[in-house]
Amino acid sequence: MTFENPNFEKTACEQIAEVLPDYLQGSLDDGKMKQVEAHLAACAQCGDEAALWAKLGELPEVQPSPMLRMRFESMLEMYQEGRWEKTNLTAQRNRFQDLSNLVDWVRRPTMNAAWAAVLVLAAFLGGKYMDRSNANSAQLEKIEAELKKTQQLAVLSLLQQQSASERLQAVSYSRNWNAPQSDPDPQILSALLHTLQVDQSVDVRLAALDALAHYGRRPDVRKGLIDALDGQQSPLVQVALIDAIVDMHDAGAIEQLNKIKQDPKADPSVRKRADWGVAQLS
Amino acid sequence: MTAPATNSMSDEELMNQVRGGVAELLGVLFERYHVPLFNFYYKLTGERTLSEDLVQEVFFRILKYRHSYKPDTAFRAWMYQIARNARVDHFRKKRPETSWEPEMSPAFTPDDPAQQKQESALLREALLELSNDKREVLVLSRFQDLKYEDIARMMGCEVNTVKVRVHRALQDLREIFRGLESGKLVRKEGQKRAGMRSGPGSLQ
Repeated sequence: MTFENPNFEKTACEQIAEVLPDYLQGSLDDGKMKQVEAHLAACAQCGDEAALWAKLGELPEVQPSPMLRMRFESMLEMYQEGRWEKTNLTAQRNRFQDLSNLVDWVRRPTMNAAWAAVLVLAAFLGGKYMDRSNANSAQLEKIEAELKKTQQLAVLSLLQQQSASERLQAVSYSRNWNAPQSDPDPQILSALLHTLQVDQSVDVRLAALDALAHYGRRPDVRKGLIDALDGQQSPLVQVALIDAIVDMHDAGAIEQLNKIKQDPKADPSVRKRADWGVAQLS
Repeated sequence: MTAPATNSMSDEELMNQVRGGVAELLGVLFERYHVPLFNFYYKLTGERTLSEDLVQEVFFRILKYRHSYKPDTAFRAWMYQIARNARVDHFRKKRPETSWEPEMSPAFTPDDPAQQKQESALLREALLELSNDKREVLVLSRFQDLKYEDIARMMGCEVNTVKVRVHRALQDLREIFRGLESGKLVRKEGQKRAGMRSGPGSLQ
């Protein structure tokens, strides 16, 4: 019997049908494999089915929107904070839905990319106009004011994001714009100080501290850092804070450092660091 | 744990840890599976937003029902079992009055090369025309890299039933695809056959 014989075709196709799925997943032995291939070459109908299987495999993979990752990260954060009941997730889904509509409207770029584009443009325009000393000064002031507003809006908006990586991005943007020698935007400074005190992610808090440390010459920043020592949970952030404060040579921190030194609940490494800090500042 | 260390962990090792309370390792599983899961749902429903909702639901359930994972058993099969249930529940809850057949939505990416778009759009459309059980078994076996044995276990049926269903699904798909093709493309029979056999290179 051969598969090609039309009298037996039905039987042949039936026989093939039994092993075709295994053939398609590549789990037949060589002998059977060849048998099936011979039949597929001769029988249009079965050949079409195998060709379709191959064609399915060539369907391009579709990428989900960036919102999916943001929602996942947000869910994980909620879970880790113990506030992730289903009702929260539904609310969160709706919130992201609004955001998602907004992003859909802007089309493909992610939140990040969109904001990054705004920022690059802002930095570019900023640089361009600042360099032109002969530009109309009233116009220049207006542009400068607008730029500041845009930057501020972007940082403040990113700092509100659910995902830690978005907030990290916000902190690093804030550093790019506020050159240490220039006067930092007070609203951004206070947002950074707030982040340093309350952000749930250690990484974000450390990044905020890093950004703030550039403004150590400002008494309000120094006071903010000293205040932030109180209530910090992570030893990592506490030690980094102590180092930053010691770098700023602010003797006003001694009282706070002494408190930590004597706090039996504080991490031993933090207490040791506070002890060292007191010695440096005294 | 450092990133390289978690990246080299198997799905099962990661899920054992998640089960034991190390929830952040679910992030590694998310990285591995959110795109395949999204494509699974997208092929089944043709709807982007719904597919994302369902992927989110799967990871929610993995976390919520982590204790129902039997340590060291195949994670992917367990995950797709959850994925199937999530979809069943969604359609049971949201659309009791309609069947599972999805609505067609503007699902096809507009930036495909024109030819490829035509081919893949037709094929996706044909997939959505299949009956639900055939479409599911085809998507699971073709795209989600699952063996017939896994699928049979998942569906609570014999392996042979799965194989028969795959075969019937392909038969149906062939008919639907030909129908769509002849409806939308004016080609001679011979050309059509040649097109069917050609690889992706000739489509671009």
